[in-house]
Amino acid sequence: MTMINELLVFAAVLFVIGVIGVIIRRNTLIVLMSVELMLNAANLTFIAFSRARGDVLGHGFTLMIIALAAAEAAVGLAIVVAVFRSHKTVNVDKFNLMKR
Amino acid sequence: MSSAFKMADFSFAAPIIFVALWACVVLLASAFSTKSSKLGPLTAFGFVIGLVITGYFWTALEQPRMSVFSGMLVLDRFSLFLDMIFLLAGLLTSLVAHGYVEEHGFAESEFYAVIALSVVGMMLMGHAGDFIIVVIGLETMSLGVYSLVASWTDKRKSTEAGLKYFVMGAVASGFLVYGIALLYGATGSTRLLVITSRAAAHIGDPLYIIGLFMVFGALAFKVALVPFHMWTPDAYEGAPTPITGFMAAAVKTAGFGLLVRAVSTIFSGESFAYGSTGWINIAWMLSMLTMTVGNVLALRQTNIKRMLAYSSIAHAGYIMLGVIAIPVLGLDPSAVLLYLLQYAVTTIGAFGVVAWVGRRDAENTGLEQWAGLGARKPAAALAMTIFMLSLGGIPPTAGFFAKLYLFKSAMGHPSLLILVVIAAINSVISIFYYLKPIVAMYFRDAGGEPIAEPMRSSSLSVAITLAAIIVFLLGMVPGSALEMAIKSTIGG
Repeated sequence: MTMINELLVFAAVLFVIGVIGVIIRRNTLIVLMSVELMLNAANLTFIAFSRARGDVLGHGFTLMIIALAAAEAAVGLAIVVAVFRSHKTVNVDKFNLMKR
Repeated sequence: MSSAFKMADFSFAAPIIFVALWACVVLLASAFSTKSSKLGPLTAFGFVIGLVITGYFWTALEQPRMSVFSGMLVLDRFSLFLDMIFLLAGLLTSLVAHGYVEEHGFAESEFYAVIALSVVGMMLMGHAGDFIIVVIGLETMSLGVYSLVASWTDKRKSTEAGLKYFVMGAVASGFLVYGIALLYGATGSTRLLVITSRAAAHIGDPLYIIGLFMVFGALAFKVALVPFHMWTPDAYEGAPTPITGFMAAAVKTAGFGLLVRAVSTIFSGESFAYGSTGWINIAWMLSMLTMTVGNVLALRQTNIKRMLAYSSIAHAGYIMLGVIAIPVLGLDPSAVLLYLLQYAVTTIGAFGVVAWVGRRDAENTGLEQWAGLGARKPAAALAMTIFMLSLGGIPPTAGFFAKLYLFKSAMGHPSLLILVVIAAINSVISIFYYLKPIVAMYFRDAGGEPIAEPMRSSSLSVAITLAAIIVFLLGMVPGSALEMAIKSTIGG
């Protein structure tokens, strides 16, 4: 039970790594991975609180987020494939057709 | 939380279930027919039935608030009114998309089913009584809209816009679920009302405050308030035009619906509204920034889609003003609801005209290409004029009345007076750029330039006409709509 704080800090660090990854990485696939990291940080936080409080609500929510993350990855990767077909690259810096 | 759900709950969720089933019907129809030519009207027909069902629920609802599925869903007139806006937006969008998709020949037959499923997500957001439903609704809506934005896979702008919107949206949902996790940690519940009732014990709790702000940030992203608006112009410009209208109208309405639900529950505690960590001060700044930045950037656009994208940011600022007024003035969402309704219809109509002006291989979204349209296509030019006047808030239209009512109700509180004055100044600024398409259509000579030759599509004409009539009627005889909005209270 004394692990709660460590888990929460770990999750927060994961979340921050995810945010930083989205901001600084140029490869779209790695950006998507960073987003998954953010979602998993939320999962870990839910699980930690759920354990601390001794109820299952957080577990349910976590399962829901896992399912949503899978759906999100499916749509996201499909969009990445479509973008790769039209742009021949997945580098975020090259997506500037509409910059003013 | 304790009571198990009853079979009767399914009948109370009938509007949502019906639209979800109709999406399946559209999918099946697309599987069995080789031509996708009737799917747009088929989807629109489903939305009409959905509107009738929702309208019936709105009239027949006896209690101010019903908890369905042991509190997961909330049934009140506020959420049913939102449902009607979503369904109306879906109806108009599928009619506009029918003409647009046929002309440009890009989408697969799933296109319309995805529109219907996004509407299901929005309805869930409006009815959410628990954060689980918030997340599911938001993701159902967003995943649908991401793929709709990127659906024109041959067009580079469309896929690029889809990717940008997806990445930003996914980050926002990351913030949302992390914020919810912190709120859960602080209060031990994900139910909105339970969190609200326990809020008083967590006034200085950093977990609670950070959680609230993360949720608020994610919602601000969905409605494109200013520091979170970077995706808007690109996503709106690159998306297929009917989908741009859908995003501006329905996605924004869904986001604001959720925001109103949040300010009337988890944000409603006195200390949060007025204390040193008050979200109202932050929302005040965001509202001011949003309307000003949106309007100023819209001034220098020459692409109509991009101009309307910035205009939608500006309108988010005005609506935010109404949202701030809600907890201040005792939870009366009628001004916001009326504004959302007229904005949804007006903006879909405007994007409908933009879609209509394009031909295959020539989308004609540049202002210069609209020169002389007024003389050649007087009916469409008149409709566009009505929409532009409504967006600018000029008298005989819905936009004027809704804006007047919004500003008037917000002025009921002295602390919002300055913001109302800023909003009024912004409205005046916005008239400059809303007049640009009108000037181009009526007063600019095309000369020898190649000019827009609009497409022929009966369903698109129907959608534009319908939208124009609604906008005009809401402006001329707003009484019954206003009465309906006033009756659409948030169940306590």
